[in-house]
Amino acid sequence: MSGLAEGTLLQVEHLSMRFGGLLAVDDVSFEARTGEITGVIGPNGAGKTTVFNCLTGFYKPTHGRLSLHREGEIYLLEQMEGHKIAQDARVARTFQNIRLFPRMSVLENLMVAQHNRLMVASGYTFLGLFGAPSYLRAEREALDLCRYWLDRIGLAEFADDQAGSLPYGDQRRLEIARAMCTRPVLLCLDEPAAGLNPRESAELSELLVAIRDGAGSDGQKIGVLLIEHDMSVVMRISDHVVVLDYGRKISDGSAEEVRGDPNVIRAYLGEEEDEELPPEVVADLTQHGGETRP
Amino acid sequence: MAEATLPGVREDSPLVALLKDAGIAAAIAFLLALPLMGFQTLDSGTTVELQYRFHWVAIATVGVFFGRIVFTLLYRRAGAARSKAPGIVGQGMARVGEGLGRFLVPAFILFALILPFLPFADRREIDLATYVLIYVMLGWGLNIVVGLAGLLDLGYVAFYAIGAYSYALLAKTFGFSFWLCLPLAGILAAFLGILLGFPVLRLRGDYLAIVTLGFGEIIRVILVNWQPVTGGPNGISGVPRPTFFGLPFTNDPAEGETAFHEFFNLDFASLHRFIFLYYVILALVLVTNAVTLRLRKMPIGRAWEALREDEIACRSLGINPTNTKLTAFAIGAMFGGFAGSFFATRQGFISPESFTFIESAVILAIVVLGGMGSQAGVVVATLFLVLLPELAREFAQFRMLIFGAAMVLIMVWRPQGLLAHRAPTVSLGPGSGGAR
Repeated sequence: MSGLAEGTLLQVEHLSMRFGGLLAVDDVSFEARTGEITGVIGPNGAGKTTVFNCLTGFYKPTHGRLSLHREGEIYLLEQMEGHKIAQDARVARTFQNIRLFPRMSVLENLMVAQHNRLMVASGYTFLGLFGAPSYLRAEREALDLCRYWLDRIGLAEFADDQAGSLPYGDQRRLEIARAMCTRPVLLCLDEPAAGLNPRESAELSELLVAIRDGAGSDGQKIGVLLIEHDMSVVMRISDHVVVLDYGRKISDGSAEEVRGDPNVIRAYLGEEEDEELPPEVVADLTQHGGETRP
Repeated sequence: MAEATLPGVREDSPLVALLKDAGIAAAIAFLLALPLMGFQTLDSGTTVELQYRFHWVAIATVGVFFGRIVFTLLYRRAGAARSKAPGIVGQGMARVGEGLGRFLVPAFILFALILPFLPFADRREIDLATYVLIYVMLGWGLNIVVGLAGLLDLGYVAFYAIGAYSYALLAKTFGFSFWLCLPLAGILAAFLGILLGFPVLRLRGDYLAIVTLGFGEIIRVILVNWQPVTGGPNGISGVPRPTFFGLPFTNDPAEGETAFHEFFNLDFASLHRFIFLYYVILALVLVTNAVTLRLRKMPIGRAWEALREDEIACRSLGINPTNTKLTAFAIGAMFGGFAGSFFATRQGFISPESFTFIESAVILAIVVLGGMGSQAGVVVATLFLVLLPELAREFAQFRMLIFGAAMVLIMVWRPQGLLAHRAPTVSLGPGSGGAR
C-alpha cells in the first residue's frame, strides 16, 4: 500500500466480510479522493453493496480498516456506529431500493436529514419548544438548504407532496438530495441510475458531476462513491473505477484502463480466453466505453 | 366487442345477484342467530327452563337481509368513486374535515370550557366528561409512541398505573400536594418509560408488542403482590382529594383551614369539586395537545415520524435511533403518568383492578381508530369508544356486540382510521415563515 496521497478521503485497507461460510468481500483495498467520482462495478453478487454496508456501519467488517480523512482527522469507520458515521465522519448514502420516508412530505424528508444540526440549535428540543430565536434562525437556514436542493433537483413545486407519491425518477433524485442535506464529505450511491430512462440517466450524471465539483450550497468539493450497473453512466463520469468480482478486487484504474483490462472482460463475459470475442460484443463494448468524459 | 363474459359463465342480472347475495347473508345470519338469540335459559329456582325467542331470530334475519342490500349498494358506490381516483380514498373527506376543522376545533374547545355551566350539565354529565377527557389524554400520550414513533406499545396502562400509585403514595405518605405530585408522577413514569425502552430498543412491530404487553402485566402483578407498599388487591383508599390551591372542597374543613365555599362565600355544593376536577383535566389535556403539536414540528418530532417510516434510512442520516425511541417512550409515558395521578385524585381509591390489559387495549384502539398520529382523530375515537358505551349502558347486554361490529365496520370503510389526514409539519411558505 502506498503512503497517503494528497486529497485521499477514504482509505479501504484489506477489507473482508464473511457471512458464515461465504466470503462476500475478500481482502479489498482501494482509495477514494475528494473531488473525484469513484465507480465500483462488478457482476451481480460481486460484493459491491456489502462494501457499502461496511462503509456506512450496517455491517461490522470481519477484517480490515476503513479510514476516512476529514479536516486532518482520521475516522475509523469500522469502529463507529451507523448513525455516528453519518453524523461525525459525514458519510452519506443512498440505497439500492429507495428508502425515503414515504408518508412524509418531500420537504420534511430534507428537513429530517438536517436533524442533528437542528437538534443542537433547538437546545435538544427545550429551547425550540419556546421558540428561541437561535432555533428559528437555524430552522430558516435549514429551509434555505432544502429550497436550494429542491430547485436543484426540480422538485420545488412538489415540496408539500408525500414523498411516496412521486414518480420513481424523482424519488431517486430526492434520495440523493436528502443525503446531500446532511452536508457529507463522502457520498455513497448504490445504483442511482437503476430504473431510470436514458434521459434521466444523463441528467443524473450531470447532477453527480456537479455534486463532485461542489454543488452543495457551501461549495466544497466532495468525494462520490458510485455503485452502478449502467456502464454508460459509470464510464462517462467516473474518475476512477474499482472492479470487484466474487468479492475480490480484479482491477483498479481510470475508466479507459479498466475497460481494456483482460481480467475485467473475463469477469463480465466469461472464460473464453483463446476465442476471439464475437464482433457484436466488441461493438457493444466500444459503444458503451466510447463516450469520453465531459 | 364489449367486455365479453367468459363462455359458460352466466352473469346474473344485478338485481338477481343482489338478492342472491343478501339471501346468502340472511341465511348465515339465521344459522348464527338461531343458537345465539333463539333460546334463552330461565333459572326458575329449581329447574332451568328454555325460552324460545324465534321472533328475535326473524328480526335479525330480515335485518341482515335488508342491511346487506343497503351495504352492497353503498359499497358499490364507494367502490366506483374509489376506482375513479385511486390512492386518494378519503382525501376529499379529509379536506372537508380540514375546512371544518378551522371552525370545529375552536367550537369544541369553547364547548368544553363552558360545559359545566350549560343547563343540562349536572354531576353525572360533568363526571362523564372528566372520564372521557382522561381517555383523550391517555390517547394523546400513546399517540406519541404509537402514532408518531410507530412503536406498538400494548402495555401503556403500566405508566397510567405508575402515575396513579406514585400520586397516591406520595400524597398519603409525605402529604405532598396534587400540584407537586403531578410532575413527580410524570417524571417517575417517564423514568420507567426509559427503563422499559432500553431492553426493547432492537425490537419492532409484533415483538415489541409482546414485550410491552408483558411489561404491563409485570407492573400489574407487582401492584397486586407488593402488599406492604401498594396494599395488594385491596388497593389504596383515602387518596387525598385535590384542593383549590390549598382550599379543600369539604363541608367541614379541619381546624384552621378555610373551605372553598367559605372562601368564595358560596353555599356548599359537592358539585364544586367535580367542576374543579373537570377543569384540571381539561387544562392537562389542552397542555398535552399543545406540547404534542409543538413537538411534532420540532426536529425530534420529525425524527419520530421518520423512525416510524424507515429506521434504516434514519440511521444513514445520522439520527440516533436509540435516543429518539427513548424520548418517545419517555414523553408518552410522562403524559400517561399525569393522567394516572389525576385518575387517583379523582377516584380517591385505586386498585390494580383499574389497570388491566383491557385498558391498554382500549387506549390503543382509540389511537388506531382515530387514525395514527392524528390528534383530532383521538378525540373522535374517544367519544366513540368511551362516551358511547357509557351512554349505552341500558343496552349492556349488547354493548360488546355493538362495539365489535362498529370496529369491524370502521376498519372496512376507513382502514387508515377515522381522521387519517396528515398535514406536513413544515412548508416553504412565501417568504419562508418556516414551521409556524
